[in-house]
Amino acid sequence: MKKHILLVGGYNKVISLSQSLIKKGYEVTAINHHYEHCKKLAEIPKLNVIFGDGTKPFVLEEAQIHTVDIAIALTQKDETNLVICELCKKKFGVEKTVSLIDDPKKINFFYSMGVDSVVSAINAITSIVEQQALINEITTIIPVGQGRISIAEIKIPKMAKTVGKRLQDINLPKEVIIGCILRNEESMVPDGQTKIQSGDELILISSDKKEKAIKELTGA
Amino acid sequence: MKLFSTTDEKQRQYLVIGAGRLGANLANDLSERGEDVVIIDKTKSAFRKLAPSFGGMTITGDATNLSVLTEAQIEKAAVVIVVTDEDNTNIMISQLAKVLFNKKQVISRLYDPERKSVYEDFDIQLIYPAILSVNEITRMLATQKQIGAEIH
Repeated sequence: MKKHILLVGGYNKVISLSQSLIKKGYEVTAINHHYEHCKKLAEIPKLNVIFGDGTKPFVLEEAQIHTVDIAIALTQKDETNLVICELCKKKFGVEKTVSLIDDPKKINFFYSMGVDSVVSAINAITSIVEQQALINEITTIIPVGQGRISIAEIKIPKMAKTVGKRLQDINLPKEVIIGCILRNEESMVPDGQTKIQSGDELILISSDKKEKAIKELTGA
Repeated sequence: MKLFSTTDEKQRQYLVIGAGRLGANLANDLSERGEDVVIIDKTKSAFRKLAPSFGGMTITGDATNLSVLTEAQIEKAAVVIVVTDEDNTNIMISQLAKVLFNKKQVISRLYDPERKSVYEDFDIQLIYPAILSVNEITRMLATQKQIGAEIH
């Protein structure tokens, strides 16, 4: 059976998220309490739209909450999102709940209230902006484990003093390892004997001190 | 009046969140009885409902914000009473008080009894105006019937 995903609140987020989820083969229902927004959302093919307040149990019932596998709360108010997730979880037994959060200080509180996944737009955006502003060498960063660990891709410039050096001779912080090296079209898992060449793309896995490691690797 | 109260004489501090009709009246009442009251509301004009003799502290701010709760000395409060005009806000603040600040007694008001399940397992004391009114009206109807029966 198709997995059923419920999106509560939000407008622009729902437009893009629902289309992407429908394309991946999920059944998607959206609840919105703006009539005009509902009309626009109803234009998306295959999306079920319910007009109403998603913190009211009967509205959730109307959205076939008993068949929902994942409920995602996307409103702008933290308290509304929390109540939606708690209702879905406790009253209707939805397996997984995801909530957007505005105030990053309440992330742990939301987890302790039983929300399965808490997404802080502010934290995500600030960390991306910070990385983009401070570190030019990084091309991609993927946060994993709620952002405690990050995977970064960096390119070794021609002028770097590490060019031609063995990995074991480079003073890397112990929180960082080089998981993979992409050289031309090949990829390899390096060991201490591997020499760095200019133009190499390194995949760094780090729990901390990523900036220091990047400076060490790419600095002239 | 005692001017030099000893420190071991502990006064219970009440934290009231939401200065609507219920919150403001309650705060006035507690203050009149000589209790120590702190009241929070997000609009300053809400405090006009407080009596001129109100002796407690008023704080303007959003009580869903942790720093506002800390400013209102929530850790000192013996009882937290959450009576804003929005159910969802009441739910979240009560749970914050219970879970993050370990408050023993939290009292809250809910308009919609259907949201009750969200509160369960938290030991939060709840008041439902709708249910209270229904009970009271039923009681009035019953006594009226009795009186009627006695007359006939």
